[in-house]
Amino acid sequence: MKLLSYIPVLVVGVLLLYAAKDFPEWGSPDAPASKSPVSSHFIANTGVDTEVPNMVTAVLADYRGFDTMFETVVVFIAGMAVLAILKNSGRKKLVKREFEVDAEPDLIVTNTVRLLVPVIQIFAFYVLAHGHVSPGGGFQGGVLMGASFILVALSWDLETALIRFPLNWTTILGGLGIFLYAGIGLLSMFLGGEFLDYSELANIFPVSREMARYHAMLGVEIGVGLTVTAIMFSLYANLSTEGRLQRGL
Amino acid sequence: MENSIAWIFIFPLFGSVACAILGISNRKICYPIAVLSMAGSLWAGIETLRQVLSVNDHTVSYLFGGWTLDAYPRGVGIEFHADILGILITLVVLGVGLLVSLYSKLPVEEETPGKEPLFYTLFLLQVTGLAGICLTGDAFNLYVLIEVAALTGYGLIAIGSNRAAAATFNYLILGTIGASLYLLGVGYIYIKTGTLNMVGIHDIIVAEGLADSATMQVAFVLVGVGILIKMAFFPFHAWLPNAYSNAPTTTSCLLAPVVTKVMIYVMIRMVLSVFGVEFSFESTLWTDVLPWLVVVAIVCAAVMALAQREIKRMLSYLIVAEVGYMVGGVWIYNYYGLIGSIFHVISDACMTLCLFLGAGLILRKAKTTHFDGLRGLFTKMPLTMTGFFIGGFSIIGLPPTCGFFSKWYLITGGMVSQRWEYMIVLMFSTMVMVVLFFRMIERIHLAVSESGENLGHGHGDLGLTDQQTRFDEGPLSMLIPLLLASAVVLVVGIYNQEVVSLIEVFLSDFNLPRGEGIK
Repeated sequence: MKLLSYIPVLVVGVLLLYAAKDFPEWGSPDAPASKSPVSSHFIANTGVDTEVPNMVTAVLADYRGFDTMFETVVVFIAGMAVLAILKNSGRKKLVKREFEVDAEPDLIVTNTVRLLVPVIQIFAFYVLAHGHVSPGGGFQGGVLMGASFILVALSWDLETALIRFPLNWTTILGGLGIFLYAGIGLLSMFLGGEFLDYSELANIFPVSREMARYHAMLGVEIGVGLTVTAIMFSLYANLSTEGRLQRGL
Repeated sequence: MENSIAWIFIFPLFGSVACAILGISNRKICYPIAVLSMAGSLWAGIETLRQVLSVNDHTVSYLFGGWTLDAYPRGVGIEFHADILGILITLVVLGVGLLVSLYSKLPVEEETPGKEPLFYTLFLLQVTGLAGICLTGDAFNLYVLIEVAALTGYGLIAIGSNRAAAATFNYLILGTIGASLYLLGVGYIYIKTGTLNMVGIHDIIVAEGLADSATMQVAFVLVGVGILIKMAFFPFHAWLPNAYSNAPTTTSCLLAPVVTKVMIYVMIRMVLSVFGVEFSFESTLWTDVLPWLVVVAIVCAAVMALAQREIKRMLSYLIVAEVGYMVGGVWIYNYYGLIGSIFHVISDACMTLCLFLGAGLILRKAKTTHFDGLRGLFTKMPLTMTGFFIGGFSIIGLPPTCGFFSKWYLITGGMVSQRWEYMIVLMFSTMVMVVLFFRMIERIHLAVSESGENLGHGHGDLGLTDQQTRFDEGPLSMLIPLLLASAVVLVVGIYNQEVVSLIEVFLSDFNLPRGEGIK
């Protein structure tokens, strides 16, 4: 059986190698992906269209913002699905699992974490807000923020972290993130443009149409950040305790 | 309305967020939210259909973010590209969604107590994803929406019992492989064309003659196989029967009619609009190979369906066989086969919906869906069984149900292309389905159990007490959707010419062989 499973692997491998013989030159400016009107438009006009210096952010949050909205929805779905599967499932048998240890939170660890967590959270805000000019944005900032809560759960226990970030709040915040993202899209639709046409926001805010795109991108990144933060922690809390939300790892 | 195409997904998207947040304090509010957002979405879909029919080229393209085609190159933004095919399948998805959401009140409360908000959140996002797949005009956006639909699907199935969770794991592995292959294929397309927009890809393939390019050929294989895995085509079907038969009632009612059908839509979209007719049919070997795989698929699925003694499992294998029909209809490569395939996507969704809604009601009242539990059900719940068997007769292909007409076009297609093996296998599987459904009728009316044991005392005696045969229909909230669905099966059958003429308008843009001497 194990030998049989090598066959599809081999077939796919050969296919991929066969495809490579027709690839454009590595890094060539004449490759279709480099010279297509789409990429040249991104390279030449990102600053003109949106005032955002970081091309990647503009493509992610504005040109292809519709994709990113559904990527955020995917994160939200992951959290909701895990919650749906594990909720109430482990309550019946409260057996101790083999990796569970009875130990008080360690003094050195907790005090180090006490110092670290605020720094991590401020850094998370920085990464989120600085996505316009440097690598970063909602997903990365959200992951850092979520990790800070997971760190609390790891060094004390899950209950301590859940007091600071109750599980219902993860659902609410996750939903609010989507609501913020799609809401900005809907608002710009009500103002006369297409869905997610941020430039229409210039009708109600005292900025140019390009700067409206710039600021709206920060808005949707905050939405992404909220969802990712909430779902990161919700996933950890549920998965590490098999849905019981007690003790944790 | 100008933005109606966007409202199609705005309603369920915001509805799902509302379910998740408001559901925490009040669980009862989720059901009305779900029904209302489905109704709003269906209204937007009908409005979009009207728009599509009113313009000259029968397509509505909607550019997200205002990256319009007149000011920016195509592909800078993401496009929703609704043509007749896309909007028809979207309407099917939304219609199924509305009926199932109406139906879901009692089953969801009883089967997943305390999880209603989560269930409806996932339910609405599932519909969002599926409707988006049908409308999008961007190859990568399609992948994202496939992920939305797939992840919600895993959640909706596994929310039930532990057995369902185990079945989901299988589904998850295979579904992920399928989606990854698709994504890899899209990557290869991007390397060669430099765009992700479907219209743009097609234009470049035609303009640069990429049909002979090895990279594009491999991309075609990867995309094609990825989609075949996602639609549970025969050798890749293993996840489907377990997942659908162990899933909660509402889940199987929603997923079984639409998920595989939407993936067939994706295949048709890729073949006709993205790679183009010449590329897909002339310069690949698929037209030679796939019809034979279809033959194997249909025969195996039909035989496995025959071996089942449990309604939901039997229906799951029927879905696998029906997928074979539709894939065959595409790859026998002619005009009539494609009409049949597209029409069968629509009619199969309607009849599968009928059957699963009926099976849910039977499970509720008879407490089992095993064939032995069916005795006397026609006297106990006549309306349910009528609705169920209208779906069943449509699967067999009895006129005037819609299943007859779509199968008619598939067989015509087989004849025109002289694919006798495909025709014979369609006939064979029709006969198997006759056996399947009439065996069920026999179990209902005769006092013989599956093991051959005689339970009655002759002369129409079923060996049941009066209590067991007394008129006892299911609750109206479940019965009405079933009756509506069976009415749709009949209406689509009777007005089949209207549907076919719409499909013909769509297919007239493509240069498909129509056979000689046949009008």
